Amino acid sequence: MSESVVEGRDVWKTYGTGETAVNALRGLNLQIRRGEILAVMGPSGCGKTTFLNCFSGLDDISKGQVLVEGTDIHAMPDDRKSEYRARRTGFVFQSYNLLPILTAEENVEMPLLIAGRGAKEARSAAREILTRMGLGERLKHRPSELSGGQQQRVSLARALVARPAIVWADEPTGNLDAEGSHEVTELLRSLNQQFQQTMVVVTHDAGVAAACDRTLRMRDGQFET
Amino acid sequence: MAALGIGGLLLLILFVVFVVTLVLAIRHRLAVRIAMRNVRRGKVRTALLVAGLLIGTTIISGSLIVGDTVGSLITHYSYLGAGYVDESITGTAPSGGPLYFSYSVYNETVNRTAGYDRISGLAPMIVDLGSVYDRTTGVPETNLNLIGVNGNQSTQLGPFVAQNGSSLEGPTTGAFLDQQTASAINASVGDTLVVYGHQALTLTVQAIVEPNVRGAFITAGLAPGDVWVSLAAAQYLENESGDINYIAITNVGSQAQGAASSGAVGSYLNSTLAGLLSSQGLVVGTPLETSLTQASNSGSDLATIFLVLGLFSIIAGALLIVGIFVMLAEERKGEMGMLRAIGLNRRDLVYTYYFEGVVYAAGSALAGIFVGVAAGYFLVYLAGFILRNDGLPANAIVQSFTVTGQSLIVAYVAGFLLTVATVVVASRRASRLNIVRAIRDIPEPPPALRVYTWLAVLGGVFAAIGALVYAATYHGTSNGSEPILGGALVILGAGLVAARFLKNRPVFTASGLALVVWTGTERLHTLLFGSSHTGGIFVLFTEGIFLVGGALMIVLFNADLLARGLRGLLGARGTASPVLRVGLDYPTRQPTRTAVSLTIFSLVVFTMVATAGYGSTLQGSLASEVASQSGGYTFFGYSQNPIPEIWNDIHSNATLAPEFTNAGTVATGTAEVYVPGYAKNPYQDSVYAPPTNQSGPSSFYDTEAFPFLSTINGTGAAATFQLVASDPNDAVVDANYDASTGSLAGSSAGGHPILTVGTTIRVTSLSGSASANVTVVGILKQSIIPGVWLNSATATALGYSVQNGYFLTVAPGISATTAAQDLKRAFFADGLVVVDIEAVLASSIGTTQGFIGLLEIFVGLGLAVGIAAMGILALRAVVERRRDIGMLRATGFTQGMVLRSFLLEYSYVTLVGIAIGASLALLVVYNSSISPVASSAGITNFVAPWLTVVEIVVVAYGLVLIAIAGPSLRAARLAPAEAVRVTE
Repeated sequence: MSESVVEGRDVWKTYGTGETAVNALRGLNLQIRRGEILAVMGPSGCGKTTFLNCFSGLDDISKGQVLVEGTDIHAMPDDRKSEYRARRTGFVFQSYNLLPILTAEENVEMPLLIAGRGAKEARSAAREILTRMGLGERLKHRPSELSGGQQQRVSLARALVARPAIVWADEPTGNLDAEGSHEVTELLRSLNQQFQQTMVVVTHDAGVAAACDRTLRMRDGQFET
Repeated sequence: MAALGIGGLLLLILFVVFVVTLVLAIRHRLAVRIAMRNVRRGKVRTALLVAGLLIGTTIISGSLIVGDTVGSLITHYSYLGAGYVDESITGTAPSGGPLYFSYSVYNETVNRTAGYDRISGLAPMIVDLGSVYDRTTGVPETNLNLIGVNGNQSTQLGPFVAQNGSSLEGPTTGAFLDQQTASAINASVGDTLVVYGHQALTLTVQAIVEPNVRGAFITAGLAPGDVWVSLAAAQYLENESGDINYIAITNVGSQAQGAASSGAVGSYLNSTLAGLLSSQGLVVGTPLETSLTQASNSGSDLATIFLVLGLFSIIAGALLIVGIFVMLAEERKGEMGMLRAIGLNRRDLVYTYYFEGVVYAAGSALAGIFVGVAAGYFLVYLAGFILRNDGLPANAIVQSFTVTGQSLIVAYVAGFLLTVATVVVASRRASRLNIVRAIRDIPEPPPALRVYTWLAVLGGVFAAIGALVYAATYHGTSNGSEPILGGALVILGAGLVAARFLKNRPVFTASGLALVVWTGTERLHTLLFGSSHTGGIFVLFTEGIFLVGGALMIVLFNADLLARGLRGLLGARGTASPVLRVGLDYPTRQPTRTAVSLTIFSLVVFTMVATAGYGSTLQGSLASEVASQSGGYTFFGYSQNPIPEIWNDIHSNATLAPEFTNAGTVATGTAEVYVPGYAKNPYQDSVYAPPTNQSGPSSFYDTEAFPFLSTINGTGAAATFQLVASDPNDAVVDANYDASTGSLAGSSAGGHPILTVGTTIRVTSLSGSASANVTVVGILKQSIIPGVWLNSATATALGYSVQNGYFLTVAPGISATTAAQDLKRAFFADGLVVVDIEAVLASSIGTTQGFIGLLEIFVGLGLAVGIAAMGILALRAVVERRRDIGMLRATGFTQGMVLRSFLLEYSYVTLVGIAIGASLALLVVYNSSISPVASSAGITNFVAPWLTVVEIVVVAYGLVLIAIAGPSLRAARLAPAEAVRVTE
């Protein structure tokens, strides 16, 4: 069996207190293997996005432990967590979340700059990955000048440019049509094969899940067995 | 329309707006409902909006209140000083003093006006200068108003009020002193007093009188004081037996009613007494009415200065309103798109904003006048503090604090209309959004070509108007603001036309550069407009607007290059690099918002630094101003009795001898001067004639060091005065005759005559019995001793031979104050008055600086607009950018990096705005220091107010940091998981 890169132990996430408390995650236990693509599916409100946020370190947990590459991510101070995100993770969101004031290449080079790479190196890496994703003609375009599919490809390029160990994707095809969705899924698959990155994809799309190595289903904050 | 007044006109406009709004509200009820819901739905936002919107009204009402107060202050002193003397009959003697005439003139005047029902009384008087010495206390005082009047002949002028409150008719056997005089000589009732006119008389202090409308005659209760004696005593003191020099006339009714009828009474007197007046060389004056008119004009002038300077802040406030409404529109874009999608038409959308804006405008204008009253009081209080040493009683200014109903109405309506007009412009922009783009939050595309075509048409109109304005005003103008405006409109218009065919960046960069060069190059203005164009408040405004506008065009259309240059310059590594990218790219790529913030800051800082710059430059000019005004002398003096041997007298006085190194005499008098081309010939002016027969250090021609603005054939200064000394046909004149100063004094309106060297003028004695034609061989730089300087023989021939003017130089290391006191004491009996030239200039500049300090504080109010703008923008940015911030945090931005990028962004905008405003303000002040009229305006050296600039930068930037600290921290603390999920 491959080495576990993310391990969740009895992870709870509770919103609110007292009678209004809602348990979004209920004692999740999970191991994610290095290099696998894991799909997490489930109905709306089952806790998929909360799972992604808590396991990636974007959000705090109420109880339990999330070990990423052996380190308890929630025990880290905020700045360490930020540094960890900059160096080891990439994120893809349903609404792309590109910075509207920056061009495609500037968006993509941002993680490298944050990680402390030089401006020239970052620009070169951003251009390379965008060209490989078929956006070589769109380097200087702002997000508002790109289609949804193109924006999601830029978003993917941004997530992958720093070669992170883990890529977290929240409904990456949620805003795309069937063709765009297929395109992004294929891209995820091929990049995973090429760079052996671990990918966790939260999705409603059965087609996306089918392309993943493993699929977990969630209901009421727990994985279905 | 004139009868309506500005207040009435504004009320009429307000009424029209109200009716139009009411009709629109009835016809567009849905829009009203949406608008009202928008007003109610965010109380904090509504409060912020009202706070931002009330700035304009605050500045307008504050300015008007300052004007009201100054008008009220001067009116108060006008009533006190003139008392019930509505008209006066007086004349000027050839020596320049009051003209004495026979008592029979008074009797004749009484007889001729006997049946006229608008006059309630006439009083024969003597009003001259005198000195007193209190033998009881041993304290002397010179240069007082010596007034002779009989109580029983002047009851219509009102009673004197003694310190114990009792009413007195007038002095009989003794003297009345006003409180100023009594205080100066420590006098009490019963003291023995020696009164000096042309001869002395010993009296007792009969009463010390209150500064009411009778006891404060002439002085208005201020220095110098009054000494009242009976008419007979005054005639004796002035050696004018049987003569008087003043007939006081009181009209029927209160002071205000009397002043109101002064015009009619004056005309009546002039026609009824025509022959009598001309035969005696007398004129009818209307002291109270003239004084009240001056009061009104002074208040109005001051309000204008405050308003024009306040215009920068008002424009900044209007931009803030535009900024707020544009942000509101962006915030509500999705919602507006949905409203449009379900059937609300474009016009209804405009009305939605209009009605919302009207509510904010009505509320904020109301709040604005209250804040304006508070700001006005604050300014008046500060003015009282700053001018506390300028002779006014403590609290006099604050006690005059006045708010007129008209000012409140004008401020409210102007503030309301300004806000509504701005809201209409902003809401039209908001309504133009595309439904799909609004719902999907897609940015609006660049303007279509037809927009540029319309702008080109507008540009053509601008250029045409500008060319006309320039052509009509540039030649020999005295008001540089008009041709500068014309030229700037041509440049702007040309830019708009060119933008139709070329790319924006080169076109508007070139236009911006052209505007800066055009408005900021004083030598170009002098070359084109001539040497008599002057600055003044309107030039400051015009230059300020176009300079700042030009600089902003350059910066905004090259913002990306500037940001790239800064990034390259800072060469950031590590985490600083992405912070720089984010912090500099937001302002670069949101040009509208950045333009609003930059413009606000640039304008506000421009006015603050320009005001401070004028202050420091005036102060810095003091030393050279003293040198050019004083001619090397410390004092200029004059006396009632001539002291022709003043140098010998000083030399033989043990106290004075070591204190003075020089003293020379000059014959003085008043003459009529005829200047070719002057509209109101003759001009009455002083004449001076230094004698040539004085020897040693006391010779004026050996020791004077007066510099000249211009001399005939470029002769040196000393040689020019030697021409006057040797040639009876030569003369020199003071700086008021120069074109640069003359235009300041308004020669075009018949103020001071102007001339050039080489001009021949005619000088005539006041009696008209003698005259002389003299050629002006030099125009002096000084204007503190104004008049025509004649050859001694010419002056004697004209009747000016009495040497009662003096130039004195204090020895090094001796206190000028001590020397002046000793000098006055020694020549007390001659009524010597000493003017400390440096002190007069310092006091004048000190007062000007105090006033400038007041203006600095006033224009500093505009800083509130800049701070509010930054605070509101930062607050809005946190909401707008939640998702961006979330994504940055997800990508590895730490909280500190988010905080730093926010601080960098607002620091960048603030500091660029400050840099533009401060540098251009210094340029404008520098220009004023090299303008042809600079020296006549007292500006000889440009002195940058670096300390004040640093203070302004620190305060402005510090306040911005405080304003954005909250939003920036909020942004930094956003939980990334929440932030990335937010969709607006």
